[in-house]
Amino acid sequence: MKRLMPSLRSKKRYLAFELLSEEEANRGELVREVVSSASALLGDVLASECDIRVLGFEAGIGIIQCSHSRVTETRAALAAVTRVNGARATLHVLGVSGTVKRATEKYLHDHAVFEPKRGAFED
Amino acid sequence: MGKRKFYDLCVHAVPDGDNSVEELASLARHFGYSGFALTNHSDKLPQKKPVLPSPEGFEIIRGIELVEENPSKLHGLVGKFRKNADVLIVHGGSEKVNRAAVENSGVDILNHPSFEKSSGINQVLAKAAADNEVAIGLNLRPLLHSRGSRRIRLLTDLRANLDLARKYDVRLVLSSDAMSCYDLRPPREMLALAELFGLEESEAIDALSTVPERILARNRPSPGKVREGVEVVEEADFL
Repeated sequence: MKRLMPSLRSKKRYLAFELLSEEEANRGELVREVVSSASALLGDVLASECDIRVLGFEAGIGIIQCSHSRVTETRAALAAVTRVNGARATLHVLGVSGTVKRATEKYLHDHAVFEPKRGAFED
Repeated sequence: MGKRKFYDLCVHAVPDGDNSVEELASLARHFGYSGFALTNHSDKLPQKKPVLPSPEGFEIIRGIELVEENPSKLHGLVGKFRKNADVLIVHGGSEKVNRAAVENSGVDILNHPSFEKSSGINQVLAKAAADNEVAIGLNLRPLLHSRGSRRIRLLTDLRANLDLARKYDVRLVLSSDAMSCYDLRPPREMLALAELFGLEESEAIDALSTVPERILARNRPSPGKVREGVEVVEEADFL
């Protein structure tokens, strides 16, 4: 199928995030949790408008894509995640950008995932 | 104007919650808060007063959340703890306790007012809360940890209280009511949730920043303060 012209494609925002979790999680587990949280909090209709997609997730950090007009709703849906795969977890949005490249460079380079248990007040 | 300061005025640490004050504080600072109030429940206080750490660039505020079913005992507890707490919260949940809390100007925040089939606030209580400058607490933890019918109930109550608060000009305070590190949410996420739940953006920011600052300013009078409305100001303060 012919690809949509750039001017016709829907505008996106890219959210760089870190996952603070009791146990390490993989992408599949995170996706399941984010989708179920969005559907429970926003309802299926609004969740579809948000168009949330987990683009990449590795070693506790990643990028989530959403519609440019639904950033607040997406943030709320991400904040409503309380557990990933049964282990307690919190999603922290580090920043929002209009391109994957910028989001990665600005927020994910040299970002070490925060560990509450380790070294309080040292950073 | 400088950068806006955000405060989470209801956080529980050991022995009430799961994590130590240090762990909670380092995470909250990482999230971008300027400080939080340690408000353990009054029925689960440690034997002796904990020494609060004071990390750089972060403020741990001494607070308490009173749990008491008997209104006259509650007034007694408010008097007892008021001097040592910069944030005094009452854990509501019955008509008598809610009423006692909003009628006592020593109380800063009323949390969890809803009970049975009521949102916990009506026009009488809202008016008293406005007169006595008692804020209504919006707590995220129960909203995040429930789903379906229970969460729907909580959100309905929240909306009802929000309408009353707007009509009678009652202050709102947005807090996490965190029991562990994993209950804390970054300020921007708190604002996003609050907006989704029906607050205007400016109301949400007030509830997380302006109102907490005002509560702290009220309970920590400046050194020159003589009495309500009378203050000795240094010349430098004008310039």
